[in-house]
Amino acid sequence: MSAPQGAVLLEVQGISLSFGGVRALNDISFDVRAGEIRAIIGPNGAGKSSMLNVINGVYHPQQGVIVFRGQPRARMNPHAAAFQGIARTFQNIALFKGMSVLDNLMTGRCTRMHRHFLWHALHLGPARREELAHRARVEEIIDFLEIQHIRKTPVGRLPYGLQKRVELGRALAAEPSLLLLDEPMAGMNVEEKQDMCRFVLDVNEQFGTTIVLIEHDMGVVMDISHRVVVLDYGRKIGDGTPEQIRANQEVIDAYLGVSH
Amino acid sequence: MFYREAGQFKTNYAADQQIFPLLQDRIGIAIVLALGFLVVPALAADYWFSAILTPFLVFSLAAIGLNILTGYAGQLSLGTAAFMAVGAFAAYNFVLRLPGLPHVVSFLLAGVCAALVGMAFGLPSLRIKGFYLAVATLAAQFFVVWALQKFPWFTNNSASGVISAQPVHVLGLALDSPRRNYLFVLTIVSVLALLAKNLARSNTGRQWMAVRDMDVAAEVIGIPLLRTKLLAFAVSSFYCGVAGALYAFCYIGTVEPEAFSLDMSFRVLFMVIIGGAGTILGSFVGAAFFVVLPIFLSIAIPAAAQLLHLPFNKASVTYIEYMSFGALIIFFLIVEPHGLARLWQITKEKLRLWPFPH
Repeated sequence: MSAPQGAVLLEVQGISLSFGGVRALNDISFDVRAGEIRAIIGPNGAGKSSMLNVINGVYHPQQGVIVFRGQPRARMNPHAAAFQGIARTFQNIALFKGMSVLDNLMTGRCTRMHRHFLWHALHLGPARREELAHRARVEEIIDFLEIQHIRKTPVGRLPYGLQKRVELGRALAAEPSLLLLDEPMAGMNVEEKQDMCRFVLDVNEQFGTTIVLIEHDMGVVMDISHRVVVLDYGRKIGDGTPEQIRANQEVIDAYLGVSH
Repeated sequence: MFYREAGQFKTNYAADQQIFPLLQDRIGIAIVLALGFLVVPALAADYWFSAILTPFLVFSLAAIGLNILTGYAGQLSLGTAAFMAVGAFAAYNFVLRLPGLPHVVSFLLAGVCAALVGMAFGLPSLRIKGFYLAVATLAAQFFVVWALQKFPWFTNNSASGVISAQPVHVLGLALDSPRRNYLFVLTIVSVLALLAKNLARSNTGRQWMAVRDMDVAAEVIGIPLLRTKLLAFAVSSFYCGVAGALYAFCYIGTVEPEAFSLDMSFRVLFMVIIGGAGTILGSFVGAAFFVVLPIFLSIAIPAAAQLLHLPFNKASVTYIEYMSFGALIIFFLIVEPHGLARLWQITKEKLRLWPFPH
């Protein structure tokens, strides 16, 4: 796949993050262009999830700057990141278990719903129209992800693969410009992985959403991503197209081990 | 079976998002409202209004309030009675000091006062959760009762601390009979229950439930945690405050801090747990369980004792009432830990397939 040559949407500059004495990220820099699928790979404990948590403001790095849409920022909270158009899924599914699929997806649109709670209590006029308009948008996502049959089912009752899909749906409901996926295919069988790959590619092509994803399945990563960043022990050891990464000796060493 | 959605096709989202999408439910709720507003007032005796129906409605309203906070937003609270006390005393003072104000407005303003106090005690909820938050709200319970006894302004310098509530007038009508009190309380509870149901199924309600189910994910989605939790505290305390005002003015007829003890906070919490956390229906069922069952037992157990010629005196009958009540609570918690409302939901799911097992 040829990488889109769009403008840089997100730039990570010299990020360092430590927890006490543990250095999770060490001077990491890379960029994400608008419209591309960017993969972050690396062995366990390499700092991949920490990197996502830094991007959407859950963790605050000690050093470094994140430039999103040309706006540099050092610290931010996840709530502000959501309003800027960054959505994400989690490694361990973080759905609202007691709510239906439909309600979970509707919650994803909360950054776009502005009516006051008193209007909600009356359920009249503007609040009602707003609710119906957003319901229509959510139904489009339900159609897109082919989960019409479970829209009223409580999420806690769904099998793992479908929960992953609903979580993707909740992130999509926010209509993000940057979508962070933390191991979207972990623990899935081959068919479920193929479905998920198809959805990720479709999201990228149809909605033009920029995607940063963490994934362990090298086949998937090399197939669907435009460019790949490789982390190992909090350091960046590779950055480039899948072909370049395959040929990178340092990456091969990190993954296969090296004889001393 | 007739009770299912077969054949009731929704062709637009508005129809799909009604409060009661099933025709049978709409007929059912219409019958209940007709019974409550027309049939019961025509038939029931005063004892029914003053001893059963009015307290049932008042406690339902308090349980809805706590259910919003604990069942929907997931914030455990033991301060319910304190917020009810704020409502009762605020209503008393509004009626006393602003005589021109319609009494209904005084009651609603009393709810607003309770909401403000509730928000103040909800502030710690950003940092502490679960049992620890329950202990923090316990502070509200003790602080409010202490403040009402400490500062004589609240009780208008009453020497005993027990004040009789002023007579209430609504639209020029005096609420001087148990029947009128009942109708007034029923109207307020019906309207507020409808508003609570609307809130629960709106964006506000979804944000509460999101915070309840997983607060980290809720924040990443863009839900402001503190604002959402404080709104839950405010709305919940508003309901408790109005319930407290109705409790004092339309049920017991006196305003006294002692009536709003920790015991009452626990009672409302148990109503929510037994009725079903996170459902409006559960609040009514739980309140009915707590108000009606003791009365039923107090009639049934002496009758049974007489029937079996057992040598019970009055005191031991009272103890047996307490014991049976406790046993029933434990029984229902074991059979259905998600509350009686959940039993009703299971019944509905079974009825969809009845008479077939699958």
